[in-house]
Amino acid sequence: MTVNPKASPWLVASACALAFVVSAERLKAVPRQTVTLELQVALPLFVQVFMTAGDRYLAANLAAIRAVIVTTDKMRPEDYRILGKVQEDASWLNPAHEDNYYTATAILPWNGELDAAQTILARATKARYFDYQPAFYYAFNLLHFKGDAAGASAWMRAAAEKLPSDDERLIMQNLAARWMDRAQDTDLAIRIVEAMAQQAKRKDFRAYLEQRVARLRSLKQLRAAAERFREHSGRPLVKLQDLVDGGLVAALPADPFGFGFDVDKQGQVVLRTSPPVLQKK
Amino acid sequence: MISFLTSAWRAGLRSRSIQGILILGAVLVGVAYLSASFSPRQPRTVALDVGLSGLRITLVLFALFWVQELVGREIERRTVLFSLTYPVARGNYVLGRYFGVVGLLALAAILMGMLLWLAVLTTGGGYDQSFVVTAGAPYWITVFGLWVDAAVVAAFALWLSTFSTVPMLPLALGLAFAAGGKSLGAVAEYLSKGAEGDLELMRFAPFINAIQWLLPDLSRLDWRAWPMYGLAPEALAVVLGLVLAVSYVAFLLSLAVITFTRRDFQ
Repeated sequence: MTVNPKASPWLVASACALAFVVSAERLKAVPRQTVTLELQVALPLFVQVFMTAGDRYLAANLAAIRAVIVTTDKMRPEDYRILGKVQEDASWLNPAHEDNYYTATAILPWNGELDAAQTILARATKARYFDYQPAFYYAFNLLHFKGDAAGASAWMRAAAEKLPSDDERLIMQNLAARWMDRAQDTDLAIRIVEAMAQQAKRKDFRAYLEQRVARLRSLKQLRAAAERFREHSGRPLVKLQDLVDGGLVAALPADPFGFGFDVDKQGQVVLRTSPPVLQKK
Repeated sequence: MISFLTSAWRAGLRSRSIQGILILGAVLVGVAYLSASFSPRQPRTVALDVGLSGLRITLVLFALFWVQELVGREIERRTVLFSLTYPVARGNYVLGRYFGVVGLLALAAILMGMLLWLAVLTTGGGYDQSFVVTAGAPYWITVFGLWVDAAVVAAFALWLSTFSTVPMLPLALGLAFAAGGKSLGAVAEYLSKGAEGDLELMRFAPFINAIQWLLPDLSRLDWRAWPMYGLAPEALAVVLGLVLAVSYVAFLLSLAVITFTRRDFQ
């Protein structure tokens, strides 16, 4: 077959050009492969250490930076588990790392990784003896996610000790005392707030805490009465007035704060946190 | 020995390694400066932390480079024979070169330490951290600790150079030594606490415990929690760490003198 030597390069060139144009056109219809992975890999701890030539602080920084740059609105539950592991490892490598505990408490408990966050915060509390925040966040998480008011109050008191100024310490101790109102075990609550009152250095704060103790004692009395009501009538308490009408208490005790008491949906007597709404006549 | 030290100094300073320090130092400072922007709460602390990690890596690389250039290459090219014609014990050459390298490392550490401190002060975009980094003695003592770390690595590389016939061996093994020695602390701690229940890994525990008698725990020379968080290390830990390092260096140097004295250069 003889081919004109002048024509063949042009033939080849135009054929290639055609192929290029056609493939470019066809590709537009083909979907792209999307890689929407936010955080997929949590390397074993010792591998992280070896990768940084033994420098555990650098390994902690790298892990903390990985945690900071994730985009949480693209994450799935499995990703949060990995994030929890990455941050927990960073906390092991450098428990005093501030960014790590800060981002951990901001993201992890709200996405199902409470245990990881609490581990990180507990380690940070121990390592950063000058920093009240890890204990504070730990306390809040205990109260909000676990409903453990007594435990939360204990951590809050520990956090209060680390605050530099007296006024800030007072505010936090007040919060710790107020949380004891929500404790299931009223005897424990009374003992703890009484101990706080005895340890309080300021007289006005001590008087205030003793008033809280008085409230808790009244609560205890009312709860015992509610229990007797349930045993007698076979149904849970609905209104506090039923206790007076039934003769289980002489009168409803006065609340030094003026908020009074209430009954929740399960029939448990609780302390009100705001003044009662006055009934219109 | 002093003449070997000063000749090492002059050779080191005249070489392009000083330019290398400054370039590497600038890169290190740049990385530390930029790493601050990844920190929501403590930009200066993170800059200091990453900078100290970079400083350590740089000092180790310089230690290996200088031992290679001032000892390894001389032995390889046999130019060392000129120095050995002098009527002094061969050990003087080894020790003189070592202390020359250590002096050069001190210069590098001081220069880069100053550059890093400048970077830490200027980074952070004016954000007022709740917990500030501590300047002065804590920072320079940490830099001193990292310098001792690099000096131990230099001693190991030097010992290897005295008997190695392969030029790259001291460099490669020196790097492995630097990484292994520094990892030892964290890995040993991890295994002693049960490796989070990883049984596969726990099988290595006796091996790691045995290695602690051969390899120095270089992480004991890293006291950066002091400038970073104000957490001063225990005096006993610092003293024992230094004793560990110095005794290991002295041991390696004695071995190096022995092997070098016996070496037959043909």
